[in-house]
Amino acid sequence: MTLRLIDWIWHVRGSLALAPGQSSESAFDSLAPLFGQTGTSYERTNDTLTFSKKDPAAQDKMSVFEGGTLRIDSRVAGPVLHYHLTSRTLLFCLLASFLFLGIAQFTAAINKFDKPPPHEEKKHEDIVLNPIDKALGSPEPDNSKKDDDKEDEDEKLSPKAAYVFSGLFAVLYAVGRILESKLVKALFEKNLLKPQ
Amino acid sequence: MDGIRVGKRVIGTQSPVTVGWENIPKVEGGPVKQFIFTWFQPTMLFAMIAFWYYAPNSIAKASTAIGVGIGFRVLLLGLEWVNPRYESWRLTWKELVTDLFYVGLGYTLLHIVGHYIGSDAMAKAIQHYFHQDEFKWFTGLPLLVQAFLIAFIFDFGQYWMHRGMHNWYPLWLPHSVHHYITQLNINKGAVGNPVELFLIGLGIGGFFDFVPRAVLISGALGLAVASYQHINVRFNSPRWWRFLFNTTEHHSLHHSQDFESTRSNYSGTFIFIDRMFGTCIDGEAELLGMEGGRRMSIREQMTHPFSEGWKALRERFWPASAGQMKGPAPFP
Repeated sequence: MTLRLIDWIWHVRGSLALAPGQSSESAFDSLAPLFGQTGTSYERTNDTLTFSKKDPAAQDKMSVFEGGTLRIDSRVAGPVLHYHLTSRTLLFCLLASFLFLGIAQFTAAINKFDKPPPHEEKKHEDIVLNPIDKALGSPEPDNSKKDDDKEDEDEKLSPKAAYVFSGLFAVLYAVGRILESKLVKALFEKNLLKPQ
Repeated sequence: MDGIRVGKRVIGTQSPVTVGWENIPKVEGGPVKQFIFTWFQPTMLFAMIAFWYYAPNSIAKASTAIGVGIGFRVLLLGLEWVNPRYESWRLTWKELVTDLFYVGLGYTLLHIVGHYIGSDAMAKAIQHYFHQDEFKWFTGLPLLVQAFLIAFIFDFGQYWMHRGMHNWYPLWLPHSVHHYITQLNINKGAVGNPVELFLIGLGIGGFFDFVPRAVLISGALGLAVASYQHINVRFNSPRWWRFLFNTTEHHSLHHSQDFESTRSNYSGTFIFIDRMFGTCIDGEAELLGMEGGRRMSIREQMTHPFSEGWKALRERFWPASAGQMKGPAPFP
């Protein structure tokens, strides 16, 4: 299996038709503000722009992508911008889903091996509600023995939270993969259409 | 920058800060919006206390508290969307993923660690050592007093642990990661190196967890007050609230890029603890973080305390070999 078959997980590719007659230079000039952000470095040749980001600011509109290449193809009927961006955050988000799945399995395994200590008879007096709370109408505490058994149940570690987070990251990945691709395309479009 | 004199120190010399409640902007918008963002905090606090005070035993349990906690945090995320304090703190998909990763670690791995060697285990061991009946004087107190004491004792411990983190380099190393956050939002309290998150969670409040209802009310205090530490919402918090409780204003100052400002407002819930020990500054800041607001990646957040600690050790014990290395992280 080549990497190409799965690299769509963290690679975003797309293309955008430019205005007829728009030169590579003017297109890259329009996009330049996007690459003038803190932690971003880029190189421009005639028809290609390559960038990389290190620790981009939270509000950097392209902070999801750590690197990429933008190429303008002028050979076809009209000029077209092709972009190929990489995002470790997208990959991390999907892997986090598996990580939490692993944590859930680990928690379940701990529960299997970690037998609770033999039940001790808890000899304590009942908790009595303070007269002020009684007068204000707070319910009497439940001092029945049933609670002690339930306490032991509650003391077991539950894998539920880890399963929930695993699902959450899977959903977040799907949302991010679609949303961030659309947002970056819209961002390029907006900058390219902006009057100089 | 000239800075502003507050007591014996001058703050805001390295990065802009606002000092004094009179200088902090108010909620903008129509009367309905102003009303909501003025009364939301006290209303939710009293509603939660009343809920746990009067809820039947079948409802007043930990699983309900977890549900209420999650629901409340989702509501706060909605408020951040509607009325952000700063546009520059607005939540993005990437920030949400980063934050939730740490929230997830807190609910899972850190919970397991806490169960065996952390605060849960400590509280259980102490409770086991003493007979519960020796604490009848405590369990017989009014519920609200018990709840306040549980929350206060925990926060008092947390205050000194947090202050220690800002004053002793080995503790600063794990905590420094949390100070690299460049914006505040509802989940940012969970962001930090796991070693620090474990340490900051240690507290003896749990020692007094005898009466479930008191514990739940104490948890509500934490939820309805401490949650606002990292929130990106502009509120018109009432004067008494700002005097007693930690707010996002106080905490943003603590996270400021200005060194002197970070050495203030250490408590988690009750800002009056800071007032007691002279470390409270009433104010706020927008520009947050370290090293001029550099955003740290998750990978670096995991390794930073160890790599910086190693550098510091080498500089101390093998200065010749450390000479070629970059110096240790700045220490507020």
